[in-house]
Amino acid sequence: MKKNSSKLKHQEEQRAAVQQQTAQQKTALEFATPEELLRHDAGQVSPPPAVARRLGESIAREPRPSRSWWQRFLRL
Amino acid sequence: MMATSVLEQTVEPEPTTSPAGPLLDSPRLAAIYEEHSRSIYYLALRFLGDPASAEDATHDVFLKAFRKLDQFRGDSGVRTWLYRIAINHCQNLLQSWHRRNVFPSADESFGHTVAAATETPLRILETKELGQRIQKTLDALPDEYRLLLLLVADEQMKYEQVGALTGQSADAVRGKLHRARKAFGALFQKTG
Repeated sequence: MKKNSSKLKHQEEQRAAVQQQTAQQKTALEFATPEELLRHDAGQVSPPPAVARRLGESIAREPRPSRSWWQRFLRL
Repeated sequence: MMATSVLEQTVEPEPTTSPAGPLLDSPRLAAIYEEHSRSIYYLALRFLGDPASAEDATHDVFLKAFRKLDQFRGDSGVRTWLYRIAINHCQNLLQSWHRRNVFPSADESFGHTVAAATETPLRILETKELGQRIQKTLDALPDEYRLLLLLVADEQMKYEQVGALTGQSADAVRGKLHRARKAFGALFQKTG
C-alpha cells in the first residue's frame, strides 16, 4: 500500500515537472522587435483557398483584351 | 516590352506546381499570386483588422493587378507594386468606413504617450489569442506606424522601398520606425 502511494507520488511529481517544463518552453518565446513578432504572426496566416477560386472566377468574367491594330491587320 | 521581361525575370510561372494554377487561367498571375498572396493577405488582415475584409481586399488587389498587368513597367519589384495597390485599396476602405485614426499626427500626438516605454523584448506565451493581441495592438496604433511596421516586417522589403511606398525617405522611415516600435511595445504589454 505504502509502495503504491509512493509510486503515485512519484508519477505526480513527474507530471508536474513535465507541466512546468512545458510552461517554461511556452514562455521562452521572445521577440527582440515588433517586426519579429509580426513575422512570426505572418507565418501562421495564409489566405483561404476560396480567395484564389473567387479570383479565378472574376478573371474569367473579365472582358478579353482588345487586339491591337497590327494584330487585327495580320488577323492574329 | 521592358515590363514583360522584368516581370518574367522576377516571377517564374510554374503552373504545374502552383495551387492557384488551375484556378487562374493566366499562368503569370497564378505565379504572382502564389508568391505574393500571403504577404498581401497578411497586410490586409492586420491593416483592416477583419478576416472577411482581408479576403475581399486580397481578391480585389489581385484583380486590379490582373487588369493592370500590361501597364506594369517594372520600375519597382512586383511585390512593391502589389503593396502599392493593396495600401491604396485598404486606405480607401478605411476612409469609406470612417475608421481613420483619431490621432492627427503620428509623431506629434502619439509620441508623448509612449515616451516612457522601454525597449524590452516582447515576451509572449504562445496562445491562440496571440493574433488577437497583435491585432488589438495594431488597431491602437496610428495608421502610419501600423503600416510601417507591417511593411518592415516583410524581410523582402528594404527601407528605401518602404519609403517609396509611404512617401518618405529611408532615413525618415528609420526614425519613425524607432517610435513605432516603442509605441507597439508599450501597447502590446498593455494587452497582455
